[in-house]
Amino acid sequence: MADAPQLDSLFAALADPTRRAIVERLLAAGELSVGDVAAPFAISGPAITRHLQVLERAGLIERRIERQWRFVRVRADALAPAESWLSRQRRHWMAALDRLEAVAAAQTPKREKS
Amino acid sequence: MSDSEVDETTLRLERLIPSPPEILFALWTQPAQFIRWWAPDGYEASVDALDTRPGGRWRTTLRRSDGSVRATSGVYRIVEPPRFLAFSWAWEDESGTRGHETEVVVNFESAPGGTRLVLVQRRFASKQARDNHTNGWSASFDRLTRVAG
Repeated sequence: MADAPQLDSLFAALADPTRRAIVERLLAAGELSVGDVAAPFAISGPAITRHLQVLERAGLIERRIERQWRFVRVRADALAPAESWLSRQRRHWMAALDRLEAVAAAQTPKREKS
Repeated sequence: MSDSEVDETTLRLERLIPSPPEILFALWTQPAQFIRWWAPDGYEASVDALDTRPGGRWRTTLRRSDGSVRATSGVYRIVEPPRFLAFSWAWEDESGTRGHETEVVVNFESAPGGTRLVLVQRRFASKQARDNHTNGWSASFDRLTRVAG
């Protein structure tokens, strides 16, 4: 299991629709300048900066500075801890519900065919 | 990495089970019934606590023959027999420290021939939401009533 604080900050970062949209935009584009990231969003520059800071602290994005330009991109494998937690949890419930269904079937009276 | 994986904020499972809600609800909320299905092959399940009053604790342990244990625990939020269960959920590590905390809601809806079971597990959006159980809960409830409606 990935450690809980890491997952907490990752899921918290992704829970916000604007930040999710930023991550999706970066996944599609590769690397963008901070100005290009902000372009489609009707929110202030400082607000975009705050979202980027949250994403960076969660380990989702990284920044690169080249002369006066600042670029951001999604870190490789940034989403892996969240995905592996989710897929493990999904497998857990699928298997548990299989067993629930089997035990319930043994307790369920057979219905008369009409 | 697809966008849908990024977009995913909840785990949702749905299945039709050819048993009535009353049987499924009892299997989930009565310790003697719960241990009959909770353990995967090679594990033995025990119930350490299962207080289905709102705010009541639950904790279950899976014990493997080699002695290793995995516990899960949480608190019941809402219990409405035989239709609805809501509880918090976290795996514990070997030292009993609880991991990433989530909320689970299970809806047992009567359906022709049995029950339509919908399980939704929601990751907390923030520490604030985790600390505010009412908000965390009502968001899950809204989502579930939409999918179950």
